[in-house]
Amino acid sequence: MTHDHPPARETLQMPAGVLAFLLPGAGHLYLGEKKRAIAIMVGVLSLFFGGILIGGVDVVDREEDFWWFLPQAAVGPIAFTVDFVHQRHLKLNDPPANETAEWFIDNPPRRIKSLGHLNEIGSLYATIAGMLNAICIIDALWHAPPRRRRTGVVQGRL
Amino acid sequence: MLFTLAYRPFLDPLPLTGPAWWLLLIPLAVGIAVVYKAVRVYDMRHYTRNVFMLSAQIIFGMVGAVVGIHVLVEWIIPFYDTFLWPRMM
Repeated sequence: MTHDHPPARETLQMPAGVLAFLLPGAGHLYLGEKKRAIAIMVGVLSLFFGGILIGGVDVVDREEDFWWFLPQAAVGPIAFTVDFVHQRHLKLNDPPANETAEWFIDNPPRRIKSLGHLNEIGSLYATIAGMLNAICIIDALWHAPPRRRRTGVVQGRL
Repeated sequence: MLFTLAYRPFLDPLPLTGPAWWLLLIPLAVGIAVVYKAVRVYDMRHYTRNVFMLSAQIIFGMVGAVVGIHVLVEWIIPFYDTFLWPRMM
């Protein structure tokens, strides 16, 4: 295959990488790729919040599910905010030392623990959202815009 | 007492019971295709078609895996256990 010009060199775009981490799609928006940015933002946020919708807020849990949270963290501050709200405001706290189990009647948990398939699928959604956003961050960080503007090249394949 | 409370979206798990949970894998496949192809395609004019193709590939791949594992577990292994293994002994 011949090209009219040599392949474009990838350049390090640090602001785009940082923006892509701060908000999914923002890195590509900074690079002027509006359609890609919208697709990334819609896709990543739909998967992340779709996971929370399916499995409840319990699927984002830095303390109890650390290894799930690790890839989820690549969604950026949104994931950390959800985890912060979950840990601080929604989790069931231990009763005071001198209280009996009846303490829970007056202090019920603010959310239901998710278990089984729904927890697994919800966690999978949120985790895949983070892993895909990690790909998007790397793509924004090492960017070669002319490569994509070139016409007549083979389309993207798996 | 907790299970009598009304469902609260994003706080509680989806009130979904039975074997329908696997249908949730279809929007997952579409979501993966939407983001992956946004990074991967060179020309965004072909984006929608690429997303559709990748979604279909993932879904049919999962269905194929289900059928393959079902045949293995329900047909091949029982056949091996019932007919082949006793004759080899």
